[in-house]
Amino acid sequence: MRVVIFSWEYPPRIVGKLAEYTSALATQLVNNKVETYVVTYHPYLTGMSEEANGVKTIRVANPVRTHIGVLTWVLTLNQEVERATANIYYPAQKRIDLIDVYDWHFIPAAVTLKNALGIPFIYSVESLEDHRSHSANTPFNMAIKSIEWLGFYEAEKVTAKSEWMRDEIERIYNVPKEKVQVVFPTAASWIKNVLKLYEAAAGGATPR
Amino acid sequence: MMLSWEFPPRVIGGISPHVYFLSKSLSKNDVKVYVVTCDFPGAPAHETIDGVEVYRVDSYKNPSPDFATWVYLMNLNMQKEAAALAGKLSDEIDVFHAHDWLVATAGIGLKHVFRKPLLVTMHSTEIGRRDGIHTSTEKMIHETEAWLTYEAWKVICCSDYMVSHVKWAFGLPDDKLVMVPNGVNTTVYENIQELDCKPFRSAFALPEEKLVLFVGRLVYEKGAQVLINAIPRILEKVNAKFVIVGSGYMKEQLSSIVRSMGLEHKVLFTGFVDEETLLRLQSCADVSVVPSLFEPFGIVALEAMAAKSPVVVSDTGGLSEIVDHDSTGFKVFPNNTESLAWGITKILLDDKYRNNIRQNAYRKIQEKYDWDKIAQRTKRIYEGVLSEYSKSFWA
Repeated sequence: MRVVIFSWEYPPRIVGKLAEYTSALATQLVNNKVETYVVTYHPYLTGMSEEANGVKTIRVANPVRTHIGVLTWVLTLNQEVERATANIYYPAQKRIDLIDVYDWHFIPAAVTLKNALGIPFIYSVESLEDHRSHSANTPFNMAIKSIEWLGFYEAEKVTAKSEWMRDEIERIYNVPKEKVQVVFPTAASWIKNVLKLYEAAAGGATPR
Repeated sequence: MMLSWEFPPRVIGGISPHVYFLSKSLSKNDVKVYVVTCDFPGAPAHETIDGVEVYRVDSYKNPSPDFATWVYLMNLNMQKEAAALAGKLSDEIDVFHAHDWLVATAGIGLKHVFRKPLLVTMHSTEIGRRDGIHTSTEKMIHETEAWLTYEAWKVICCSDYMVSHVKWAFGLPDDKLVMVPNGVNTTVYENIQELDCKPFRSAFALPEEKLVLFVGRLVYEKGAQVLINAIPRILEKVNAKFVIVGSGYMKEQLSSIVRSMGLEHKVLFTGFVDEETLLRLQSCADVSVVPSLFEPFGIVALEAMAAKSPVVVSDTGGLSEIVDHDSTGFKVFPNNTESLAWGITKILLDDKYRNNIRQNAYRKIQEKYDWDKIAQRTKRIYEGVLSEYSKSFWA
């Protein structure tokens, strides 16, 4: 299986807990014979590299350096994520089995890749805008929520790290419970659960 | 596949008619064109117009804090819909053709996801519109334009002036730039009889007044303020009514200037008018004035010439190339009220001169700005790009 992880943070660029988690996940996937790529952001360490643990990373920078907010920053970075993913897809006989997207930032790229090339994706929720900005409903917050909604709508599967988050996803976005799977990051069967989920979601989208 | 943020009936500026006529004329020249554009109340999500497949996407799906962010969010939806469409058509799409930065991110993403060449027509630039880059928003847009021209296989500009401007603004190599003029549709004016003018113009001007027409967005670079400041000088020589068609952020400011000058009875702000009224106004005006300070092309001058209205234009940008002074129009110094007043007065007072200019202008329009010829040139550019592409590792 060939999997691409989208995450806006990944070592050495650490913003919060997500970098550590996606790094551990990528390492475990490689150990379980999954061909694993990570597409992430870095302001200057751009390009493809293979780490000692076998994970292949592609780091992209934003071609537009001046921004008026995180939204414009994200929305101009997604094209580079698409380019990086196309650079994996085409040399690999046009086959990527699954994309696993962490949080809303790279949802636009995942949605386009699904619609264009039929690559299914999982939306893995680390946090939600409604919690980050405490029910704020300015156009700025609502725009981010609309991207999160798009992700829930277009994803094959959604993952949450707790039962509470699964309830919140259902409460805020009306996502049916059966679409959301809880993957406890501390469970002994953690990577097995992830692999099972990947198997179920891969090839789920209509191939084009 | 063409991407444009406006397509009739959604008309905001010159891109909408440009994409409309270009796609139709390309279709006539055996190019299958798909246009993906923004939605408009009452317009269908999909329709076929003379062989052109038009798809309208929900462009107000996402709440947006400001215009620039709206543009990028709209691009998200446009890219998604275009991706689904192009994916369904599999290999049918040969090139993506974007119009301006307003569809930059959608176009760039589609290029990479499908690995097909991207072309862009730069109708304007932020640095030109704002006469420099002053704010973060302007800088962001400028950088987006730079990125778009970088990603494009060819950059099409509508005038020699824009070619050199775009080359300067983004540091592009010569062989990436190509000039294809804008076209104008003369047939729509043919139906308008000159006999119609008398009753029609009475809604705008007194019988003894000459009708001076300005058509354009009421924004700084279009220079309506220059015309208004020239009015007292013109009225010294000739009795005229100044009809100002269009809307924009300067509208209130301009009407208050007119009030303070005591010229309310001489200036009529019509706002945005329907197409039929516009065509008639252009056909019945005694002179059409284009006093722009910055003008990448100047389609409104071409339209006036096609309507057989004599034109007075500022000698700047694309206008300099459209109009030959004393032959197909009258050129004046940009942002110069005395010069503008001189030009307008000359045309209004000298009948022989006026008629001469009208005839020459109409002839030039038919020779140089015919949409069919422009579509053929555009098709040749597509073919050239595809032949280069066929030798690349993407093919």
